[in-house]
Amino acid sequence: MGAGRGKPRALPTRPQYRASAEGGSGADPGGEAGPAWSGVGGAGDVSRPRVSGRRTGACGLLPLPPTTAPNGSSGPSHSVEWEGRSLLKALIKKAALGGEQVHILGCEVSEEEFRAGFDSSINSRLVYYDLFRDPLNWAQTGEALPGGPLGALQAMCKRTDPGPVTVALDSLSWLLLRLPCAALCQALCAMSRQHACRGGGPAAEQLCVLGLLHRELHGPGPTGALSSLAQTEVTLGGTAGQASAHILCRRPRQRPPLETLWFSVLPDLSLDLQGGPPLESQPHPDPHTPQVEPASHLTFNLHLSKREREAKDSLTLPFQFSSEKQQALLRPGPGPATSRIFYEPDAFDDLDPEDPDGDLDV
Amino acid sequence: MAAAATCGTGAGSTGSMVAAGGKNNVTSFQRRGPRASGSDSSYSRLVSIAGTRPSVRNGQLLVSTGLPALDQLLGGGLAVGTVLLIEEDKYNIYSSLLFKYFLAEGIINGHTLLVASAKEDPADILQELPAPLLDDNVKKDFDEDACNHKTAESNIKMKIAWRYQLLPKMEAGPVSSSRFGHYYDASKKMPQELIEASKWHGFFSPEKSSSTLNIEPCSLTHGYIKLLQFIQNIIYEEGFDGSNPQKKQKNILRIGIQNLGSPLWGDDICCTENGNSHSLTKFLYVLRGLLRTSLSACMITMPTHLIQNKAIISRVTNLSDTVVGLESFIGSERETNPLYKDYHGLIHIRQIPRLNNLIYDVSDVKDLAFKLKKKLFTIEKRVE
Repeated sequence: MGAGRGKPRALPTRPQYRASAEGGSGADPGGEAGPAWSGVGGAGDVSRPRVSGRRTGACGLLPLPPTTAPNGSSGPSHSVEWEGRSLLKALIKKAALGGEQVHILGCEVSEEEFRAGFDSSINSRLVYYDLFRDPLNWAQTGEALPGGPLGALQAMCKRTDPGPVTVALDSLSWLLLRLPCAALCQALCAMSRQHACRGGGPAAEQLCVLGLLHRELHGPGPTGALSSLAQTEVTLGGTAGQASAHILCRRPRQRPPLETLWFSVLPDLSLDLQGGPPLESQPHPDPHTPQVEPASHLTFNLHLSKREREAKDSLTLPFQFSSEKQQALLRPGPGPATSRIFYEPDAFDDLDPEDPDGDLDV
Repeated sequence: MAAAATCGTGAGSTGSMVAAGGKNNVTSFQRRGPRASGSDSSYSRLVSIAGTRPSVRNGQLLVSTGLPALDQLLGGGLAVGTVLLIEEDKYNIYSSLLFKYFLAEGIINGHTLLVASAKEDPADILQELPAPLLDDNVKKDFDEDACNHKTAESNIKMKIAWRYQLLPKMEAGPVSSSRFGHYYDASKKMPQELIEASKWHGFFSPEKSSSTLNIEPCSLTHGYIKLLQFIQNIIYEEGFDGSNPQKKQKNILRIGIQNLGSPLWGDDICCTENGNSHSLTKFLYVLRGLLRTSLSACMITMPTHLIQNKAIISRVTNLSDTVVGLESFIGSERETNPLYKDYHGLIHIRQIPRLNNLIYDVSDVKDLAFKLKKKLFTIEKRVE
């Protein structure tokens, strides 16, 4: 995974490589220890409780439990700089090593190129549907899947046996460019539902769909729609030489946790996670957004000094009746002597007791 | 005096009324006494539907939304025959909770439910409804919440300079005798027997609309057409529009539509800007027509944050009666803002309907925030 595999780094901005992988670890019985996302509660019928267990044992941290939600899968979307196909292949390898069926719909690269890097035992377990060589079935060989890309998705779903299945779509961008987005979303949802229906009870069915999305190819509409379907979204990015994955897991009833990890994919397609938040690569948000102080821009003073606070505490309020005050009120007072008005006549005052308004200049 | 004479004999026969009127001769206006056959047929027309009450302002029949705080902000409740549109928050956590409260309120009151969704099976949605809080538990929960709140601030005792100390404490908690709005415990599920005892109809879009036909632009998508036909059938068959006069008690139909406008309904307004922009607006127009002629109330949740064409959002707002927007702080910079630290999000009342009225029922409080405590969802005026 290094920076750019021979592709020119001419892009002025750093494209956010967005990898969304469907992750939905449904009702994880143990609430596995480990990173938050591995125990995420996904949709009920596509949970995969055992995945986290196995994987947490395998390596210290697990990237994403490739469980899918009935809502499509979004896989790592790559950009020119941060390539996600190797992450996808690493996840496929893990799934295959775990004994699951793996079905791959290959659209963007040829089968040989995709299978490169897997060793032969894994390669024999992958079921590959090739839409790259002849997507429109011009050769009429008869082995192509009918119905175009949509038909291919539906056929893939029908050919899976009951049991845990991982489906990898390489890539969703290719499908989005050829199918209407709404139809693709419906097809992805239908996939997991059909799988669940066929296999029997919801607990037995675990379908994980991983999809790769090239984020800069699409506007905010399709990416927003697909990410709202996805259970886990992994956005790839990073700094020079080091790739980071920003993972967002949607739980059905709780706040989604956001995590960021450093990772790298080794040549034999195993994942190496370094964990931890990104270092100084990302600008620390504090200098840019100063902490909001609510009382800072007022024209009056809300803070009390010590003396003022003491004076305030010692003040007796008008309706706080202590016993002395009650006694004083009950006793008949001295009368008008307690309230007097003191008035000093001014130079301009002309007090005429007979005509009090005489001095008014009317 | 004349008034007293004419009104005093309320239950008397008409004979005495005429005599009284003739004696005083002040007014020829005579109040018609109750009929001898005085059954409750004329008086029970509105009042006896369970779970409804007339509005104190204009007599409009209202149902509860399931959240008494929201009922208060909407002027007493949701009017029967109108649409409440909830603009979803970004991760659809709180809007789905409000949706479930609405359905749970229907079950508790014995209303018929119609649940439509494109993402989840309605049967699964009904399994996840929150459990109602019984009266004796409610006060306990409220007191417990109040205590937790107090211990944090016990060191800041407020000295009250006015006579509020002598006033009885304002009861912010639920009134135990309220039959209109109920409180729910979001951490528990509704008991199975209540769900089974209720009457509900489910519409799951992928099952009902199987074919993907090519539709002309400016027309309804297939999913919407099927949903409208389904709603119309239920209203007609069960007599919510008065079509077959029922011997039994009248009831309210609560319609809940989840995630309307998302791509799973076949609508592409969330995907592109220039999609079929009239499908959703037509749907809402027809739906409102169906609702106005029947005893039903509808709650729709819509992911408006995904809609690309902003003009559609304003059209949708105009076509709905009450619009409430939810904005959660998750993932936004407001999460760390100390002004918002006590709350989980903001609630915006974007539109209140003007039904049989010349003025709006808008409350004077516009700065509202919500908080999902362990069990309860509360809406409060935001305190700085």
